[in-house]
Amino acid sequence: MTAADDAAIAPGRSVGPTSEFSLFFRVKPGEAAPLRAALTSLQDTPGYRPGDYGITIQTIHEARFVLFDDDTRLAFITSFDGPWEAYMDDFFTSGPTLALFDAVFNHVEGYEGLPDVAAVRSFVLGAEQGAAAYARNYGGTVKEIRKAQRVNAAFQAVLDHPQAAEALQHPALQPLLDEAAD
Amino acid sequence: MDATTGVSLELDDIQAGALYERPSPYVGTYLLLCIRDRRDGRELVRRLRRLVEPATAVGPVGETSVTVAFTYRGLEALGVPQASLDSFSPEFRQGMAARAAVLGDTGESGPERWEEPLGSPDVHVAIAVLSPDETQLEQVAVRAREAHAELPGIELIWRQDCHQLATGRTSFGFKDGIGQPAVEGSGRPPTDPRERPLKAGEVVLGYPDETGDLPPMPVPDVLGRNGTYVVFRKLHTKVAAYRSYLRARSATRAEEDLLGAKMVGRWQSGAPLALTPDEDDGELGGDPRRNNDFGFGDDPRGFKCPVGAHARRANPRDALDHEGSVDVRLHRMIRRGTSYGPPLPEGVTDDDGIDRGIIFVFAGAHLKRQFEFVKTQWLNDGIFIGAPLESDPLVGPRDGVGSFTVPQRPIRRRLQDLPPFVVTRGGEYCFAPSLSALAWLADLDT
Repeated sequence: MTAADDAAIAPGRSVGPTSEFSLFFRVKPGEAAPLRAALTSLQDTPGYRPGDYGITIQTIHEARFVLFDDDTRLAFITSFDGPWEAYMDDFFTSGPTLALFDAVFNHVEGYEGLPDVAAVRSFVLGAEQGAAAYARNYGGTVKEIRKAQRVNAAFQAVLDHPQAAEALQHPALQPLLDEAAD
Repeated sequence: MDATTGVSLELDDIQAGALYERPSPYVGTYLLLCIRDRRDGRELVRRLRRLVEPATAVGPVGETSVTVAFTYRGLEALGVPQASLDSFSPEFRQGMAARAAVLGDTGESGPERWEEPLGSPDVHVAIAVLSPDETQLEQVAVRAREAHAELPGIELIWRQDCHQLATGRTSFGFKDGIGQPAVEGSGRPPTDPRERPLKAGEVVLGYPDETGDLPPMPVPDVLGRNGTYVVFRKLHTKVAAYRSYLRARSATRAEEDLLGAKMVGRWQSGAPLALTPDEDDGELGGDPRRNNDFGFGDDPRGFKCPVGAHARRANPRDALDHEGSVDVRLHRMIRRGTSYGPPLPEGVTDDDGIDRGIIFVFAGAHLKRQFEFVKTQWLNDGIFIGAPLESDPLVGPRDGVGSFTVPQRPIRRRLQDLPPFVVTRGGEYCFAPSLSALAWLADLDT
């Protein structure tokens, strides 16, 4: 990484612990169909299959690849826990993640391919565009949300117990009782 | 050539003190000098060059070492050409005081409250002399003093002595200096058999790093190659506040020790919680073959070692391996911490007003992704462990108060109203050049 590269990195907008991260590419002429096919294959890989909830990068909330402008452009848009620019070097040394992206990036302009990680890094940073506006409807990191889901599932299991109403009568459990009615 | 790694480090050109461990026990002195006259500055560098030992000159155990490093302002004062100055890392060019907001050095730790002259443009040359005993230290310190004393254009502007406490531990009472990464080609074996030695370029400029590339290096080559960035920070430790906090939340001395260990991730002896979660084990703590041989992967929820404990934050080891977003090897640090000030006597919980703490020293090729990343993402923040509002319980900055979660069955314990226990008194980003770069600097004729 050069000093010039560093200066070019814009941290992007963030809401609480989460920051937005968007990349925009130009599809190579004639590569739209194979790119769509690559994205369709991606959708079938573990983590991207409907209901998997297991993206390889566990600190992103969601990921989408969007072909637009008659399949001449490609966008990759995500939300990342933490300031993404701090983790850029990590991304570029992560074998599995990089391999997955390599299959997609091969169809867009400016990509020279692995194994030249420095070139890939420069290519990705060159495609990043900071959002002009960014908002979220819930706070919390992926880790916190997963924990909240586990806790809620446990709470629902408690409520399904025949003696739940009786068990929740203790004053210490009042905040849970307040959430138990619906 | 290192037979096991195939890496050939030019050890005869690398400052020994920048690459190797300090002695233990140790005494030492840190000096900061201001270059008022360029010619005297270059003469100073010429003399210091003769005091600095290359990494080939030291034995397997720490010996007396003199390490010389320069701030951006120092290189400027020596007349290093602008194109060369511009080729240093942006963080180094800015200096630590300018990075304060990023680093969390605010409020009581803010540069406006730093000890003079730390953080000022007068800090040009940093010299560290570390020795196993007072006699050897004095011999070298006299030579270091002679190097600058007769030069009217050189002013000694700060001195900080340090020494290992009689306990062999930090002012907080913990054995430290454990868990250093090994470096390919350095000839020193790893203490953590689970961690491959780091690529040389993680620590020394001019060699491939963990990304497979050469770290960005200042020009010309003779100035950058075999050099390393050095961070030093004077950190005041609020030992009385720390002890009072633990005592107020513990029914027994044993509980106090356990809470302290949960915060640090190790017991006072140095024994890691990951290996002995319920009680201290002095033998384990003192055994360098075992006290760094562990991971956190078998303890994702932190029942043995809390995910927010200091040592686990500073080096998560294998704890984040499955997350696909972090390569821990990119964020390892060579640390050379030393203690200053007298210990607070055992059992005392009232502040005696005496300054004591740690001179934290980092050596590495990447200020941003090593020192600054660990400080900002892992110590100051809790996003990465799913607790954005928690910072490191021991060294985390807290303007007001914070919390710390100790996972335990049946119910986690959450320590509230955690005040700051460490205050930054000042520091600087420096560059420790190679021996040939020292000669190049001395011979500048700009």
